[in-house]
Amino acid sequence: MRDANSFDDFYRSTSGRAIRYGYAVAGDPAEAQDLVQEAYARAWRQWAKLAAHPAPEAWLRLVISRLAADRFRRLRGWRLAASRTGPPPDVGPPGEDTVLLVGALRQLPPRHRQALALHYLFDLPVEEIAREAGVPAGTVKSWLSRGRARLAELLPGVAAEELEVNDVA
Amino acid sequence: MSPELHRYYRSLAADTDERVLPAPDRLRRSADRWARRRAALTVLAAAGLVAGTVAGSQLVLAAEPGPDPAPPPAGTPTPRPSSVAPSAAPSSLPPPSPSVGRTPGSRSPVVTTTPPAASTPTSIPDRAFFVLPAANDAGTGNYFGPGPVLPVLCGASPGDERVVARRARSLPYRRAGATADEVPSGNYRHSITIYRSGGAGAALAELRAAVRACPEQPARGTPPVTVRQRLLPDSGYGDESVLFETRTPYRDANGDPSGGDEVHLIRAVRVGDVVSLLWEQGWESTSTERAQFDADSRRAVEAVRRWLD
Repeated sequence: MRDANSFDDFYRSTSGRAIRYGYAVAGDPAEAQDLVQEAYARAWRQWAKLAAHPAPEAWLRLVISRLAADRFRRLRGWRLAASRTGPPPDVGPPGEDTVLLVGALRQLPPRHRQALALHYLFDLPVEEIAREAGVPAGTVKSWLSRGRARLAELLPGVAAEELEVNDVA
Repeated sequence: MSPELHRYYRSLAADTDERVLPAPDRLRRSADRWARRRAALTVLAAAGLVAGTVAGSQLVLAAEPGPDPAPPPAGTPTPRPSSVAPSAAPSSLPPPSPSVGRTPGSRSPVVTTTPPAASTPTSIPDRAFFVLPAANDAGTGNYFGPGPVLPVLCGASPGDERVVARRARSLPYRRAGATADEVPSGNYRHSITIYRSGGAGAALAELRAAVRACPEQPARGTPPVTVRQRLLPDSGYGDESVLFETRTPYRDANGDPSGGDEVHLIRAVRVGDVVSLLWEQGWESTSTERAQFDADSRRAVEAVRRWLD
């Protein structure tokens, strides 16, 4: 038995962060909306179990990351279902910084994007990112360092110095 | 730090916030519709496959030359779609394994099919939860979400099998007189649970028994920490109430005892078949302040009474 109230609470309190994360990982706002909705749809289908999960938001991010990595195949079904509800409302154009960042992120491997988004959007420490990505902490430090170095090459005004310890700790 | 990158990500976050997702009930409906459609397609595909196989085999058998008319293939099973459909119907949707190295907790909200008494609601609206006075508002709002509603009590889960519905939130608060730039004074884990008829009283009795049966237990910490629980006398809240404390020795930065205990209070109050449970969890090792806790317990009971009236 799934409890709609607790799912709705979870959805309302996390969907803003989830769509930011989806945008930072997928690199396309409409794509982010699709895959975040698909991730929540999966969460709802399994809510009887997921409601007891100690970190349902981390579970959701994991699904979003996987969908983003393989989005075209996995999202086909959701798009068919969602197409009946009409297009989402229009929103204004993104700011210049967003356009530059998203353009730069598209040139990074998905794992680097994921680690950077967890660090800069969620302020997660390296150990948490490592747990969520299922890799050692050293790997995450490497992803963050290389991802940031690449962004420094691609974005104006970002210093290319080495990551400081407290920037990734 | 890298302020430039933070600025870029802040810009992305601000632009994303304009994009709204559908209301949760709409998303649930779409998800359920899509799941049903997928299940139906699976059944149809299986039925089509069986029908095609049967038709094909009959054609092959009918075309076979021979002096005698071919007898009906008595030994050949002739499955019909209706007999196949049930086995194909439950198109299982395997959960994407949450491979974050964590396992589901055992204190899940249990939902039973037995309804509560006719006069008791079966869902819990926002107004059932009390509102902090302005002087105690930490400015953080509250967060409704899953998670434990009680401290660990040696693995007991009092009353869980009688639950009809439950909602829980985390509510940081500020003690009156604290300045606005201070961190919150503490955090409440506040849950409201509807039990099936007569189940709330039994749940409180089980809670009392669970606290008595668990006077102390190891808690996470380095070096190992022991947390002690004990019931406290309580009256004057709702139809009945259970009050208990958890007590852990304060530690210094090296983990050595530094004198005194960190104490947290938990009060479960029954109003009819509903239990409002307030668990004060502290904030960065603060202990519960009794007067504030009692006042907020009364607010919690009043909110439940107003909702049920």
